[in-house]
Amino acid sequence: MASKPARWDLEVDVVAVGSGLGAICSAIVAHDLDQQVVVLEKAPKLGGLCAYGGGEVFVPNNHKMAEIGATDSDEAGRQYLDFLSAGFADPKLLGKLLDNARPAVEYFEKEAGVKWIAVAGLPDYYYPEAPGTHPGGRYLSVDLFEGSQLGEWQHKTYLTPHIPLGVLHRELYAWGGLAKVTEWDYELIAERITNDQRSSGPGMMGYFIKAAMIDRGIPAYVETPVRELITENGRVIGVRAERAGQDFFVGARRGVVLAIGGYDMNKEMARQYEAMPDWNSAAPPYLDGDHMVMGGEVGAAVAAVPPTNLAMFFGYNIPGEEHDGKPLYRTSWECGCPHAIWVNRAGKRFCDEAFYKDYQPRVRMWDGQNQEMPNYPPFLIFDQNYRDRYPLGSFMPGTELPEELVKQANTPRELAEKLGIDGEQLEATLERYNRFAEKGEDPDFGSGSHPWSVRLTGDESYPNPCVGPLNKSPYYGLRLVPVGVGINSHGLRTNAHAQVMHVRSNPIPGLYAVGNSAALLDLGGGYQSGTSNMRAITWGYLAGQHLGRKA
Amino acid sequence: MAETEYSTMARLSVDTIWDFVKEMDNWAPLLTGYQAHEKQSETDSLWTVKGDVGVLARVVKFKVHITEWNGPERVSFELEGVNELLKGQGVFIMQPYEEEPAGAASAQRKNVFTRVVESLLRFFLRLFRGRPERAAASAAGPGEGWAQLTFKLRIDPGGPMAPMINAMMKPAMEVVAEDLSNRIIAQLEAQQGSKA
Ligand SMILES: Cc1cc2nc3c(=O)[nH]c(=O)nc-3n(C[C@H](O)[C@H](O)[C@H](O)COP(=O)(O)OP(=O)(O)OC[C@H]3O[C@@H](n4cnc5c(N)ncnc54)[C@H](O)[C@@H]3O)c2cc1C
Repeated sequence: MASKPARWDLEVDVVAVGSGLGAICSAIVAHDLDQQVVVLEKAPKLGGLCAYGGGEVFVPNNHKMAEIGATDSDEAGRQYLDFLSAGFADPKLLGKLLDNARPAVEYFEKEAGVKWIAVAGLPDYYYPEAPGTHPGGRYLSVDLFEGSQLGEWQHKTYLTPHIPLGVLHRELYAWGGLAKVTEWDYELIAERITNDQRSSGPGMMGYFIKAAMIDRGIPAYVETPVRELITENGRVIGVRAERAGQDFFVGARRGVVLAIGGYDMNKEMARQYEAMPDWNSAAPPYLDGDHMVMGGEVGAAVAAVPPTNLAMFFGYNIPGEEHDGKPLYRTSWECGCPHAIWVNRAGKRFCDEAFYKDYQPRVRMWDGQNQEMPNYPPFLIFDQNYRDRYPLGSFMPGTELPEELVKQANTPRELAEKLGIDGEQLEATLERYNRFAEKGEDPDFGSGSHPWSVRLTGDESYPNPCVGPLNKSPYYGLRLVPVGVGINSHGLRTNAHAQVMHVRSNPIPGLYAVGNSAALLDLGGGYQSGTSNMRAITWGYLAGQHLGRKA
Repeated sequence: MAETEYSTMARLSVDTIWDFVKEMDNWAPLLTGYQAHEKQSETDSLWTVKGDVGVLARVVKFKVHITEWNGPERVSFELEGVNELLKGQGVFIMQPYEEEPAGAASAQRKNVFTRVVESLLRFFLRLFRGRPERAAASAAGPGEGWAQLTFKLRIDPGGPMAPMINAMMKPAMEVVAEDLSNRIIAQLEAQQGSKA
């Protein structure tokens, strides 16, 4: 660990490490409470994971629901989050998250100008069965953000390579969701791209970055990775960062907020903590797990929730697709459309492909008799019906699929041979699947039974929007790999003020962790779209308040 | 359709530029994102280029077919995507400097504000992307013995997303056209400098 330098290169009250949602929220609130703040970011641009994402924020009983005619209650929200947590959450943290999510989003609307919109008609993952669940209105997203308001940061903030830019949530669903991506209004999207009008995650980060860097003038240093925490008598008093290969010592009179995300890019750490044979990520390529290293050096406790039910996906890298010089991995949503299924090496289906909460634990399943994961890796199989209608990643119908990625054959058996899976069984699987699919049924795994999946990826012109037979040659297949979205099962243990806890169970003075750097003990054993941004905003807000409290 | 045109001037003869441009092996590596090209005949070639549209980079394979070979004044070509739905056309035009070459005239028609904004934009793009700058040449100003190289490129993406791809490609294409022209000239100027 670095010792205190003779002189700080910069000394402030609060050092916010990272420039994703958690960091920027804590920076704004601390600034508003009269703290001098600086943001240090490893990447060449600001925005972190949120700028790559869908920009949904899950806030039960939020203040925007009334505008779309939806009603909710705090009690229902609590019941649903309790259900999601499956007993693995720390009730105190869950309660604090829920009690502060609404005040936090209201604060950022009022003080930071974030224009929230409640998304109508997009249900909770477990709607309608789970207790306290809701048919639509708990997800907040933002109205269009004008990129030009970012001044010098306009071209130094990330834009997502995953989601078409400039599409509002209500438009996405009005245009038929992901299955109808070929029919969206691309003239309108083009106009918005030309005018740099941002939606989804980039739009949301736009509001927050403008509020912090432009309106409040909080300085941000990019390409400035924080390498070590500096302590004095057990208190974190600053950091050693690097700028242009030189040490850059920044003193923090009040504290340091680690909001540097998870460890998706650290393959070894991810493989071990997530208990997966391989790990790739859709996130910006800077989430190296530095919080685990720096936290470990000052005695921080690590906590975990079960990895089985988090936000993680399977997907692929289209050969040649890169972001910031690293391969770009895409999550596979194809299996939520009709005419596509997943099988294992034995050529058998094993999950509801349209609901990622179902497929993830089933891929993880362990066969103790044979000491193996029988469903790993999964293979995506689709036919020409699919190709005629839906894209594969960024490959629209009518384009050639890259041979290195996708195998193609005239019969399922030939395809199986090319993929190295059981051909006879694949034929049998398709024969059974098709028999029911013709009628829109999936008695084996219930694909299409979750209204959330139907809304997001289903094709509502089908009797079952997620199910359709695979019976038109040629057949296509590819092996999928694990793809994280930066949300991990392990993180630093924090308390109800977002302070990092020492392994001896006391808070480490001067050290905070928010967002994905903090263990998910507030959520426990489950995940729901929008809860990641919800916790980044809420804990950022709470950390900022604690840092700015009167001594 | 995304279209771009870039003209640059240098103290070089048209023949010098032509000698260089007519051999695609000379300038292919100067194309931003260039990975490989393969000559299939006198008029046809297959190119692999990594295109960067800001949010991501993607490897694009396309066929180029020369439609006009009219040295030392112009070379025109058509291109067609192999793994993408896109078609396009391009032309290199080389002409000796005259008092008011076509490119300069059109530049002068733009008002002062537009020119200031464009040059600021170029400055920032360079700053962010670390692009080549031929400061010395442009400062010296054109005169006798100078030539102008113009590169025009037009790309028509196909499929339903065409308007969006156009919008994403346009700023990137402008940079590519400008860089290619400047790099060709910079290389020739360097060669001439080393001979002198
Ligand atoms: C495709 C996709 C879609 C998503 N959609 C949604 C959604 O709709 N709703 C939702 O809730 N969540 C979504 N997420 C996830 C969500 O955006 C994030 O989990 C959330 O914003 C929390 O981010 P964070 O504040 O923890 O940090 P991050 O956004 O991960 O930011 C961490 C920052 O720290 C920087 N950093 C790392 N190490 C260092 C260091 N040593 N020094 C300095 N800086 C460092 C990184 O470069 C990065 O900018 C999505 C994610 C992806 C990939």
